[in-house]
Amino acid sequence: MYAVKEDALQGVENVQEPKVSKTTTRRDALKVGLAIAALPFTGATGGPAAAQDRPVTKVLDFTTGADIAKAEQEGEFLFYTHDGEPAAAGIIEAFGKDFPKIKGKYVRAQNGSLFSKILAERSANRFNVDVIQFSEPATAIDFQKRGGYTRYVSPQVSAYAPEHLSNPVGDYFWVGVTFAGIAYNTDKVKPADAPKSWKDLLNPLWLNGVNVKQSNSGTQFVQWYELRKLYGDGFWKEFAKLRPRGFDSRVQLFDRLAKGDDKVCALAEYAGYLLHKEKGAPIAFVAPEDGLPASQLLNGVVDKAPHPEAARLFVDWLMSNRGQTHYQNNPYLYYGSVRKDAPPMPGGKRLKDFKLLSPTDMDAYSASRDTFNKEWNGMLGL
Amino acid sequence: MDTSAQHPPSATGQMISLQSAIMAAVIVVVAAFVLYPIYYLLQASLDVGVADVRPPTAYGFDNFAALPGYSTIMWNTLVVTFVATIMALIFGFLTAWILTRTNVPFQRTLEQLMAVPYYVTPLLGALAWSFLGAPESGFINQLWRRFGGEGALIDITSPMGIAWVMALFEGSVAFVMIGAVMKSMDPSLEEASQVIGASRWRTMLRVTLPLVAPGVLGAAIFVFAEMLGSFSAALVLGTPARFYVITTAIYQLVSQYPPRMPLAAAMGVSLFAVMFLMLYFYRRITSRRSYVTISGKAFRPRVMDVGWLRWVLFAVCVTYLLLSVFLPIATLVFASVQKLAVAFPAPENFTLDNFRQALSLNAVRSAMGNSIILGLLTATIGVILTGLLSWMIQRSRLPGRGVLEYIVMFPQAVPRLVFAFGMMWAWLVFPIPIYGTFWVLLIAYLTVFLPLGVRTISSVIMQLDRSLDECGQVCGASWGYRLTSITMPLLRPGLLAAWLLIFVASVRELGASILLMGPNSKVMTPAIVEAWFSSSSELTAAMALIQTIVIGLAMLIFLSITRRAARLEG
Amino acid sequence: MKKGTSDPAIEVENLSIRYGAITAVGSVSFTVNQGEQLTLLGPSGCGKTSTLRAVAGLERPTGGTIKIGGRTMYDAAKGINLAAEERGLSMVFQSYAIWPHMTVFDNVAYGLRVRKESGAALKEKVHHALDLVHMSAYADRNASQLSGGQQQRVALARACAFSPTVLLFDEPLSNLDAKLRAEMRIELRELQHRLKVTALYVTHDLEEALAMSDRIVVMRAGNIEQSGTPLEIYNHPRTAFVADFVGSANLINGRVMDEQLGEGLVAIEADGGNKLHGVTLGRVPGPTPAMSLRTVHLHLSNQPPAHSNNVWPVRVKRAVFLGDLTQIHVAWGGRELVVRQTAATTFTEGQTAYLSIAPEHCVLLEPE
Repeated sequence: MYAVKEDALQGVENVQEPKVSKTTTRRDALKVGLAIAALPFTGATGGPAAAQDRPVTKVLDFTTGADIAKAEQEGEFLFYTHDGEPAAAGIIEAFGKDFPKIKGKYVRAQNGSLFSKILAERSANRFNVDVIQFSEPATAIDFQKRGGYTRYVSPQVSAYAPEHLSNPVGDYFWVGVTFAGIAYNTDKVKPADAPKSWKDLLNPLWLNGVNVKQSNSGTQFVQWYELRKLYGDGFWKEFAKLRPRGFDSRVQLFDRLAKGDDKVCALAEYAGYLLHKEKGAPIAFVAPEDGLPASQLLNGVVDKAPHPEAARLFVDWLMSNRGQTHYQNNPYLYYGSVRKDAPPMPGGKRLKDFKLLSPTDMDAYSASRDTFNKEWNGMLGL
Repeated sequence: MDTSAQHPPSATGQMISLQSAIMAAVIVVVAAFVLYPIYYLLQASLDVGVADVRPPTAYGFDNFAALPGYSTIMWNTLVVTFVATIMALIFGFLTAWILTRTNVPFQRTLEQLMAVPYYVTPLLGALAWSFLGAPESGFINQLWRRFGGEGALIDITSPMGIAWVMALFEGSVAFVMIGAVMKSMDPSLEEASQVIGASRWRTMLRVTLPLVAPGVLGAAIFVFAEMLGSFSAALVLGTPARFYVITTAIYQLVSQYPPRMPLAAAMGVSLFAVMFLMLYFYRRITSRRSYVTISGKAFRPRVMDVGWLRWVLFAVCVTYLLLSVFLPIATLVFASVQKLAVAFPAPENFTLDNFRQALSLNAVRSAMGNSIILGLLTATIGVILTGLLSWMIQRSRLPGRGVLEYIVMFPQAVPRLVFAFGMMWAWLVFPIPIYGTFWVLLIAYLTVFLPLGVRTISSVIMQLDRSLDECGQVCGASWGYRLTSITMPLLRPGLLAAWLLIFVASVRELGASILLMGPNSKVMTPAIVEAWFSSSSELTAAMALIQTIVIGLAMLIFLSITRRAARLEG
Repeated sequence: MKKGTSDPAIEVENLSIRYGAITAVGSVSFTVNQGEQLTLLGPSGCGKTSTLRAVAGLERPTGGTIKIGGRTMYDAAKGINLAAEERGLSMVFQSYAIWPHMTVFDNVAYGLRVRKESGAALKEKVHHALDLVHMSAYADRNASQLSGGQQQRVALARACAFSPTVLLFDEPLSNLDAKLRAEMRIELRELQHRLKVTALYVTHDLEEALAMSDRIVVMRAGNIEQSGTPLEIYNHPRTAFVADFVGSANLINGRVMDEQLGEGLVAIEADGGNKLHGVTLGRVPGPTPAMSLRTVHLHLSNQPPAHSNNVWPVRVKRAVFLGDLTQIHVAWGGRELVVRQTAATTFTEGQTAYLSIAPEHCVLLEPE
């Protein structure tokens, strides 16, 4: 749940660390059970106290709670991300332009592999990661429960709505949002047949001609969850009859759509649409009135980070308009920014201009993961 | 006669212990490389405790019990793998026979080109063939429809299409393995058959084929296992047709949240059974007969004069190369200079942006260097390691050397995507901090390519007359001296083939690298796959082409160095 | 060669070799004296090659001892087993084992280089060895360009080049054609004499064994059947197996007649009723004694010979012209005997002739 207490937020505005009781953290940790006790998570409790009196400095055009001199002394940091190689390289490069004395490094893997990898490393007492980014909230929440984050409340949190920050604040934040509508191939689909609402996806015309993402996609999970909530269980059962094809990335979806291999893309991420429209693909994007399923990418400082100051500086940079602009404009990312004062995305629209559908009850959302995986894999013939 | 010359230098006693020391070291290294990760893999497959907590909190067989739910996928995998193996062996044997045993024109050039399909990575091949043969957008099908055809002429996304693409590129491994064996076969064995009136075709089937049987079988086992674990073709071509094999299923299992590693591990471990059954039959077949064809009776390498048929055989080779090299590469070149690859592009669709972008990626440039260095190291160390291993398996009187052969095949039996997890867990807790460094990749590559090296070199060792080595022994030469003066020079073609195969396999390695790459040890192929996932097929085509060119150059340099070295010696 | 030592060059005692449950060599003992050539003769599978390989150190025996030049090479009881390369022997292989990747010179120089010879000394020794086998002209040839006979010579030169005291031969001539084999036999023998080297030779070819050996050990099914000089083996086979294997012989079974003859003589009534006299060579006849009569020792004539012992009138059944010899099959006491003699007298089928043999050529065999 993302109901953040008022007093906590006030604390944020005063650039004061909110009073997070140690018991909260403990309770969270206890939830995961006995096994987790073996995991080292002591840092999670020590973190907030240390962050409490952080002086805020202004660097370039943003404020940071990091000690820049120390960060530069640390000289490097390691970023784990689910994003692709060129995307990760782009982020690190952009940060490196602003802070040439800090050498960013990154390792990338698919969300699930990344999660397994960092947990395995931590259980072997190897702490080499400074900042981590997951592609969907359930992973981040699980990681939080296992004491994976160190709490750092950035001075940038004031620019974010509470629902875009972790609870409690300071573990992770929404570094970007990817959202999906419907896209279709304008050569293959007659204007009269063009889908306008989510319900139009069930048109038998799309039999063997519609594509979606695999169950490992966070956005796909959100779409399944939200549309099921809107239209009931039957919606996806009906959809399954169209024998949809599942792919791993939005690029594949749009590649196939652009080339006419598929007629309709049922999970058309706006980012992918922009990329392919630029190339002159015969495709159109539809934003159904009921809203666009949106999935957030979550980013935070890792517990026992070997370069804590550089990590904080990096997170502050990411949260600032500099980082957010990069996330919006890098063609490998094209993620929308949830910052209150975010600039428009390429194509001129802002994230606010779309009606987004995002799960609010995170417990119910996380709990339905298994149902989704089973239904979705079954539907895709896996 | 003077007494001083009677006995060889007394250092031989020490040499014997050197031999045992080296053999012991090889065993320890192999056991550590293979069994250590396997232990963790088995542990994971039995893990039924809290997800992603290590060590597991509870053990059980639930993961294995869940496997029957995936029987369709298992069946799909076996069918595609089997069909592809047969096709690859036919390609490999036919081309190997043509290029080593007949007077086909331009033999040397063709032979050099034959290795190319192997370093046209499977991803590149799959990508190219999906450009060519996708039912809707495939260039071939577009052409077909333009000339009045209906529907799709070919469907590369069908199971047969996937098998075809896998076989096309794996065929060149079969070629290299079988070719190395054929090259060292005494031609008089074939001539004997011809003299008594057997046709050339009959000679090939009745004499050549049985004689190179261990080589062919070795190649078959290897190719089968390689395809069992192959990922790219099934990923690129299978998913659009809702057709999954074990590797693509595993990929989904480990990349989703919550990651289902234990189930993936169980799937991988269950593949051991398939592999071991094959290996068992291989050993039964090869142990029953002697396959010595390199004997002390030296022979002149001669080829068969096949008359006008040579042009037909030439056409066969050229067709294979056309389908596996020229057509895919031309397709990729064509695709990589377009914004959106189509068969009949408008002029404004052409662009060089993809190459500009590929070359500007910092990650790609440093990764390329790492890949090449890793390839060189893996191939060089790998040839030494697998050479010694093959020798121990085939020639030593070491007790339990049969077990060694099974152990060596482990890494081949499990898809690398899964084995990588075993290696990650293993090297993560290893007291010497190599995890996340360049060295862990080197170890991983050496581990996963053990079977490749052993299969290639073993086939050639099997053909070596024992008395060649024994004679050196009776002459008083120590083990090490014999190894360098007799065994290694005689195995040269096999060792060279193994080196090249391992080099290329390392550079194109994907499954293990993704998980084990550290921030300072990036390699190339994962970056290309990434590009395919996150940017576009066109950029991927450009990157894959650049990779192919770099590998090609590296191999050219290596070949010219070895050729010069050989000339200096000879 | 060490002078003044009386140690035999090779001593093999109670050697046994087993492969799992199969016994390849049952307890075998023999010695080879210095400068002597001893041949292990026997059909394939008799264990001769295994024995040779055990002496060379290429095969690990299961029991017994092997000493070479007084040094213990293998001793099962003491757990000693020197590796082949430590035994200081030399060997010529059946397959020649010419290394195809080396020149003739390098092949021959191998053993010398192992012994750290180099420069002029090496060159001289290699050329000396090549001279011995008349292959000096081929020194720079690639080994893969030689004919079978030439490879054989190179293999021999290689084996001799480093002046070993003991040379082992594993059927070295079996891959050569008949004419070349006959030539090489003589050359090998001469070479062995010239180099005064001790040689242990393995063959299944009788002529080869007889022509080249100082002594022969006949083996059968992993055991020694008989050992002795070629003449002894030929003239006085100990068992039916040796008589049959070592050249052609007529084996005659019968019973001992109670007839007082001279010392070492015996009279036997053959199964067909014919009586013949032979020598016992100190052997004690068993209940069903057998005699060996070499085909060439039998004599067939148109006129009865002067003496009366061992003379029988026989009917000529068939005469086969073999060139130097004629092989005549005669009916004798209800069976057939084979006679080989020079073609001086001709016989026609069906005629009667007189068969005779000197009693010293009728050899009583030991009971099996």
